[in-house]
Amino acid sequence: MVLETVPVEYYMVLSAAVFCAGLFGVLTRRNALLFLMSVELLLNAANINLVVFAFYWGEITGQVFALFVIAIAAAEVAIGIGIILVLQRNFGDVDVTDATTLRW
Amino acid sequence: MSVIYELTPAIVLLPLASFALALFFGAWLPRRGAVVGSLATAGTLGLSLATLAWLLLTGEPHNQTWYTLVDADATFDLTFGILIDQLSAAMLVIVSLIAFLVHVFSLGYMNDEGEPGLPRYYAGLGLFTASMLAFVIADNLLMAFIFFELVGLCSYLLIGHWFTEDAPPSAAKKAFLVTRFGDYFFLVGVVGVLVTFGTAGFAGSEGFPVLAEEAIAAGETFFGFGAETWFSVLGLLVLGGALGKSAQFPFHTWLPDAMEGPTPVSALIHAATMVAAGVYLVARMYGFYALLPTVLAIIAFVGGFTALFAATMAVVKDEIKQVLAYSTISQYGYMMLALGAGSYVAAFFHLTTHAVFKALLFLGAGSVIIAMHHDEDMWKMGGLKDEMPVTYVTFLFGSLALAGIFPFSGFWSKDEVLFETLIHALGGSPLLFGAYAMALAAVFLTGFYTIRMVLLTFHGEPRSDTAEDPHGVRWNVKFPLSVLGVLAVIAGGINLVPVEKLSGGSLHVAFLEGYLERDVGLLTHGEHYSELLHDHAGYTSAYVGSEVTTLLLGAGLSLGLALLGAGSAYGLYRGAVPTRHTEKLGGLRTLLMHNYYQDEYQVWLAEGFTVRLSSAADTFDQGVIDGAVNATSSVSLSAGSRLRRIQTGIVTNYAALILLSLLALLVVFAILGGWL
Amino acid sequence: MFVEALILSCLIGAAVVFVAPSGYAGRVAFGVSLAPLLVSLYMYLGFDGSGNAFLGGDVAYEAFAEWLQFGPYAVNYHVGLDGISMPLIVLSTVLTTLAILSAWTPIDSRQSEFYGLVLFLEGSLIGVFSALDFVLWFVFWEAVLIPMYLLIGVWGGPRRKYAAIKFFVYTNVASLVMFIGYFGLIFGLGDAISSTSMPAIAEALRAGQLGYLGTSTIGIGPDALAMAAFLAMFAGFAVKVPIVPFHTWLPDAHVEAPTPVSVLLAGVLLKMGTYALLRFNFTILPQQAAMLAAPIAAIAVISIIYGALLALAQQDLKRVVAYSSVSSMGYVILGLVAYTVYGVGGATFQMVAHGLISGLLFMTVGVFYNATHTRMIGDMSGLASKMPVTATVFLTGAFAYMGLPLMAGFMAELFVFIGTFESTVLPAAPLFAAAAMFGIVIVAGYLLWAMQRSLFGPFRLETDYELGRAPLHDVAPLVVLVVLIIALGVAPDLFFEMIRDATLDVIDVGFGGGLR
Repeated sequence: MVLETVPVEYYMVLSAAVFCAGLFGVLTRRNALLFLMSVELLLNAANINLVVFAFYWGEITGQVFALFVIAIAAAEVAIGIGIILVLQRNFGDVDVTDATTLRW
Repeated sequence: MSVIYELTPAIVLLPLASFALALFFGAWLPRRGAVVGSLATAGTLGLSLATLAWLLLTGEPHNQTWYTLVDADATFDLTFGILIDQLSAAMLVIVSLIAFLVHVFSLGYMNDEGEPGLPRYYAGLGLFTASMLAFVIADNLLMAFIFFELVGLCSYLLIGHWFTEDAPPSAAKKAFLVTRFGDYFFLVGVVGVLVTFGTAGFAGSEGFPVLAEEAIAAGETFFGFGAETWFSVLGLLVLGGALGKSAQFPFHTWLPDAMEGPTPVSALIHAATMVAAGVYLVARMYGFYALLPTVLAIIAFVGGFTALFAATMAVVKDEIKQVLAYSTISQYGYMMLALGAGSYVAAFFHLTTHAVFKALLFLGAGSVIIAMHHDEDMWKMGGLKDEMPVTYVTFLFGSLALAGIFPFSGFWSKDEVLFETLIHALGGSPLLFGAYAMALAAVFLTGFYTIRMVLLTFHGEPRSDTAEDPHGVRWNVKFPLSVLGVLAVIAGGINLVPVEKLSGGSLHVAFLEGYLERDVGLLTHGEHYSELLHDHAGYTSAYVGSEVTTLLLGAGLSLGLALLGAGSAYGLYRGAVPTRHTEKLGGLRTLLMHNYYQDEYQVWLAEGFTVRLSSAADTFDQGVIDGAVNATSSVSLSAGSRLRRIQTGIVTNYAALILLSLLALLVVFAILGGWL
Repeated sequence: MFVEALILSCLIGAAVVFVAPSGYAGRVAFGVSLAPLLVSLYMYLGFDGSGNAFLGGDVAYEAFAEWLQFGPYAVNYHVGLDGISMPLIVLSTVLTTLAILSAWTPIDSRQSEFYGLVLFLEGSLIGVFSALDFVLWFVFWEAVLIPMYLLIGVWGGPRRKYAAIKFFVYTNVASLVMFIGYFGLIFGLGDAISSTSMPAIAEALRAGQLGYLGTSTIGIGPDALAMAAFLAMFAGFAVKVPIVPFHTWLPDAHVEAPTPVSVLLAGVLLKMGTYALLRFNFTILPQQAAMLAAPIAAIAVISIIYGALLALAQQDLKRVVAYSSVSSMGYVILGLVAYTVYGVGGATFQMVAHGLISGLLFMTVGVFYNATHTRMIGDMSGLASKMPVTATVFLTGAFAYMGLPLMAGFMAELFVFIGTFESTVLPAAPLFAAAAMFGIVIVAGYLLWAMQRSLFGPFRLETDYELGRAPLHDVAPLVVLVVLIIALGVAPDLFFEMIRDATLDVIDVGFGGGLR
């Protein structure tokens, strides 16, 4: 298999790159949709790690966890989109820095 | 136990029952409780007389615990008991006689005058009598304290009887507070006696006076003090209570104010109950005081000083009851002097005669006040002797007794007090000369103010409309006056010591002395006290020339001074329209009218000092202590409101914070783990 | 069975009252509260305990059931009564019933909630006085705060929120301090105990089994641990009592609380603090108490005198009574630290006596307030002529507070004075006793002064209300309390006998039977 030939470090680098992209998005974006997408990137970076190490160790648990994460991500998107819709309705915008009324 | 002693509790319970009846059912009782009260005190008087007679006839005393208040098991118990010996049996008769007469008199003074709150009044009288009687028969110091305090409560209630006016509640408060201040020392003393001896019993070989005697003999120490020093401390503490109730200097200020109460109450307070309680207390535990020369000297000095001090103030007063009030203070000074000077018998003798003539004088004054439509100013009276002869004659007898004029009762007892003081002073206790001198000076003043009072009230021309046409009094006023009037003349006959001595001992007429000195096995008799005084306080008798010479000299001196005082008053105030001579005294009069500013400084202590201290404490409490509490909360609140600024509400910031924290944590772990 | 019956009848009663219509809640609550009252009186009459529940005495009405296991410690349901708790339980039930009666007039909104909370409070109080397991006890101890917080915070005066929060936070922080102290002891005992049973802990501590908290290298030694625990518990309970300088929540809470709540607050809640001090500090750590005897006695004397002085400065009748509670509780502390039969017994007796007397005074002030709508002394005078019965009761209560003989307060104070005077634990004991006794003069001063100004003199009232005689259900509880106060003053052995029996062992602890 092709996978066997690719060393595990490469996957790690890929995963770290995706994670950093997601983190950068979370830290810099103000648009809630982009924010949500960045969170998805973070989750998927974790998924890559889970799948790779499951394969590497010949252990199925990691893949099962990856499935869980995908399911949760789907649920999160559903809720997240809902929140974004409410944001749009209340603030007329999807800028996350506007929604600070709950802080104190 | 003989039947009579099984009935002793009834002496207390009868007036107590009258209290309860008047309190709860007063509105439905005949005469609003007066009848019940009079019957109860009459019963008490009968029982007291029977008790006295029994003791006289059989010589069998009674000293028994009746009720255990606290059964402490591991330490001493607290109990109530009854002690009937010569002192308490005689005192019972005095108290119940005066209480009975006061009840009868109240019918005239309160009921006939249509005063409000009669059930309350008779309830108070009943409780007052019951408490005093229970105090008299107490067999231990704790029980004595308990009823001593109840006496104080009753005086508060009765002095403040007319509570809808301003002055009586204030006077009542003052009376209670000043005596309470004395009672504070008394309470410390009671607790000290209980702890020191494990008992507070007065009489018998188990009583604390005897234990104290043994402890001094054995040279024991208590709390690091020698026995005599420690006992002196205890004795002085208990004395505090006695001085408070007996209105001795400096606790005398409450008594003149207490005149705000109804006059029969004043009679009861002054003659037989509250004020007498202090002197009675010292006499009751005389076996203890006789061991303590220092305390005796203090008692004698305070007594002598108070006798003179109060007499000077009585000279200038314009209100009949005020004069009587200061005379009471002065006369109790004589009793204290007698006790301090080691003449137990003379003290009790004077207590007896004083009870009679002072009750008489107050009731007489009450009769005058009824006649004057409750005006007490003597300058508005005058000429009453023709309008109210019974009152006049009895009042005159009482006054002559008070002034110590031969052969009225007061002469005999006062003379004995002075004589005993003199011979003990001569016998090696020179300090007593000072007290003796003050007491002698007081004799002159007593003669003066007494006669001044009589002349202003009854003689001369009527000086107001009411005095011209006084309100009449009925049998219920005249009856008590007559009984007491007769007694005031003859009561001296119970102890004619000078006569016995002049006869060379062939005439046995010193009845009271014989009675009090008889040994009935309780170690509370006069003989025993004399031995103690001789052994511990060093009181011995010496004479100028022979005993008879000294006796005649002393009696002549005191009678002469009394007559001189009476004569000068007569010289100054006789005639149809007497002048106000005391106003010529100028600054001295102001000083005397202000009672040497004793009230002022005591009021200052209470209001100027304590109240100010308390408001300072309040400021401190609200400012500093509560301030610290509130500061804690406001510091927390403000710190919180600063810290919460970290929460910007911007998700990105939180994410950055999380990331930075994670990195910082990693660095820390790296350093600690040794990777870097 | 009996203790459970007491607690459950309160809690079920609370539930019933909660759903009862407001118009009837007062009467229903009164009826319901008779159940625990009668049960507790029956228990008092049949009381057969002897000795101290913590020190191996025979516990009456004991009940035990397994409950939880926390690591090495079993937490059980364990209740029972001895001569210290029995009088306090009777006090709680009596005062609750009377407080409910006295609430009929002043409480005119949300009655069912009010009475429900009062009954819940009663159940918790009974739990506090009967629990023998620490965790169980602590549950009840904290449960008391909730109804009290609500009762002050909802039905209180204008500053009720401030007072309620102050009360809650202050006492709760104190509970935390105490809790840490006690758990320090539990952990320090290590394997010596296998449950949080307070008698077992007391026994282990007496047997000297307190070890290191932590290890012997990094840890706190037994002596330091015991002292630290003593101080922590003392501070914790001092707030509840309250002892100067932890007392400032009390006047605020009293002034804002409605009358019936003040009655319970002064009458029973304060006794929780002194009860706990007796049960915890003075029973299980006697050596530490003896070491600290002089400072504790000094604090007690300061509480007595300072509290009385503060009472003298107040213009609000309720504040007067509140500060005098601070003063009275000082006597309890002084009696406890004396370690004598009369001292510790008198302190316990004073808890009951003060509960009755302060309850009486608060109720009377409440009756005056119902009629006049003011509590300021300067606003009224001559009330006695318009409300003679209430005024008489107030007079009686005031004299009881001043320690008039043949009333409960005098007996309690006398016991404490005797106990303190003869104390061997306390240095210069007679001086402490004499200093404390001066309190009786100041108490007389402020109460007589307050009465002179408000009850006597010509009638005057600043607020325009028509004064009439108080209704029967306002006066009846007052009369009951007067009767109880006099009964206990004339026959203190009604309670003192069992109290003495239960406190003898406390005195014995650590002092080799040195009773005097």
